[in-house]
Amino acid sequence: MKKVKFVEHIRPDVTTDIVYMMCPMHLLKLDEMMGKLQKGQILELLTDYDGALEDIPEWCEKTGNEFIGVDETDDYFKFYIRKTA
Amino acid sequence: MQCYFDHVATTPLRPEVLEAMMPYFKEEFGNPLSIYPLGTNAREAVERAREQVAGLVNAKSTEIIFTSSGAEANNFALRGIAFARQHEGRHIIVSRMEHHSILNSARFLEKMGFTATYLPPDRHGLIDPEAVRKAITDETILISVIHASPEVGTIEPVREIAAIARERNITFHTDAVASVGNIPVDVKELGADLLSMSAHQFNGPKGAGALYLREGQRIIPLIFGGIQEGGRRAGTENVPAIVGMGRAAEIAKAELPHRVDGIRRLRDRLIEGIMKMEAVHFTGHPEQRLPGHASFCVEYIEGEGMLLMLAAKGIYVASGSACTSKALKSSPVLLSMGIPTHVAHGSVVFTLGADNTEEQIDYALEEFPQVIKRLRELSPFSKGWGDIEEGGTCIPKK
Amino acid sequence: MYSKEVMDHFMNPRNVGEMPDADGVGTEGNPVCGDMMKLFIKVKDNRIEDAKFQTFGCGAAIAVSSMITEMVKGKTLDEAMSISKEQVASALGGLPPQKMHCSNLGADALRKAIEDYRQKHGSQ
Repeated sequence: MKKVKFVEHIRPDVTTDIVYMMCPMHLLKLDEMMGKLQKGQILELLTDYDGALEDIPEWCEKTGNEFIGVDETDDYFKFYIRKTA
Repeated sequence: MQCYFDHVATTPLRPEVLEAMMPYFKEEFGNPLSIYPLGTNAREAVERAREQVAGLVNAKSTEIIFTSSGAEANNFALRGIAFARQHEGRHIIVSRMEHHSILNSARFLEKMGFTATYLPPDRHGLIDPEAVRKAITDETILISVIHASPEVGTIEPVREIAAIARERNITFHTDAVASVGNIPVDVKELGADLLSMSAHQFNGPKGAGALYLREGQRIIPLIFGGIQEGGRRAGTENVPAIVGMGRAAEIAKAELPHRVDGIRRLRDRLIEGIMKMEAVHFTGHPEQRLPGHASFCVEYIEGEGMLLMLAAKGIYVASGSACTSKALKSSPVLLSMGIPTHVAHGSVVFTLGADNTEEQIDYALEEFPQVIKRLRELSPFSKGWGDIEEGGTCIPKK
Repeated sequence: MYSKEVMDHFMNPRNVGEMPDADGVGTEGNPVCGDMMKLFIKVKDNRIEDAKFQTFGCGAAIAVSSMITEMVKGKTLDEAMSISKEQVASALGGLPPQKMHCSNLGADALRKAIEDYRQKHGSQ
């Protein structure tokens, strides 16, 4: 597993909450939301699924979007992705 | 003459609903997750049904999660919210008017370390919103109060209770299985965060229910697996049943406005006729009740006898008596309303639907007094109860 | 749910009613518990000449009462005393498991009626 970059105080343009939704909703939702974003905008994706730590950076790499990093709360992760593709 | 007066048990499937379902049993058998046309057709059918069901309760289609039944929707709501919010508190409030699927879920949560408050109704079966307010603690995360009681027909002040829950940032769920499709139900107007419904209660098929989940409300799945229902309820969709539920919802929405008055008129006639008999008590709220619902306790006799004798005459009704339940326990709802146990044994429930006629009501009013008379002739209490000892336990001898 | 015999005895119960000049009366059960049976017997020469019943309860309770009043007629008190709940249930073509206690109720009411008779008439 690649080393995940942890970030704080990122200000997203759009937030989507998929906490407690099953895998692979994080990828489906990510795909759906990125389609709606303008180039340069930042998506914040909330999920409790730890597999996303691997999947989301990889997805970004594959699709040419920028993976900014991840922030952690007690019970879920916040992923930040900038639309660059 | 056959008279089906048990619409609270289930309702007849509308022919148009069956017709809408048929292709999905046959040629359109695809899995909604498959990407070829057979799959996308099924997916489109499910999504159309979602819009139809959302339309019936004024929700967005993304706020509807299909389930296998009303009971599953209730289990899902209670467990799903309790576990999703347990880090904020571990206290829930439910009423004593609830269906077993709520009460037993609450009991399960108690075993898992939650605490639960069970609110008693008044003699009409109403839950007092102020009692809900008083039961709230800093730990309360979820309140669930039934919309309408299938046992006594009472419609609860759900809107007031939802408003109290909202003030305190508590999630509010209502079990609307007995009401959706039978009276207008609007999730926005009620202010519910979650609402359960069931297709076979409004002329749809069995095997389909739904949970309305307000946008932004987190819930932990009851069934883990794949991405069906937005990753919140796994399992390949019961496409024909879902399609049937959608069609039934569409029909109910279109017909409700002019259906309710006719049913209520028949119901009132039935009540008027039955209340002419001696030692018969009306149960539930006299006005605030489901339009097709008429429930009574008949003194000095027991409910199962009434059911069997009426059934022999082609009249099908229900009872909350102990003997009609497999557990041999009287309806906790009737008892919580303060009805003495020996009277609760004489419970009888008539629930009417759009398929009932005036002739059927006349026939029932002719036959029912004879059934009561007959059973009272058999009863040692035909002249009154005498001295009855309340309380104690009734464990059948081995 | 119920056998043909149960339905027959429920729909057309035999020996219904009070017996004002009964020689023995037995009451078993409690309306709070959902069933109560009152059994009346008329005894002549140590034999049950007639029996009647009044029952508050479900279909099975009524059928059991009806069946037991039929079964005891003509039996000696000792014979009647030995009628078991299983015999009543099987005479009715069986009872659903959750209704077996109804046959118990019948057998107990009968024993109480016989005891009541013996007490009143001082015989054993």
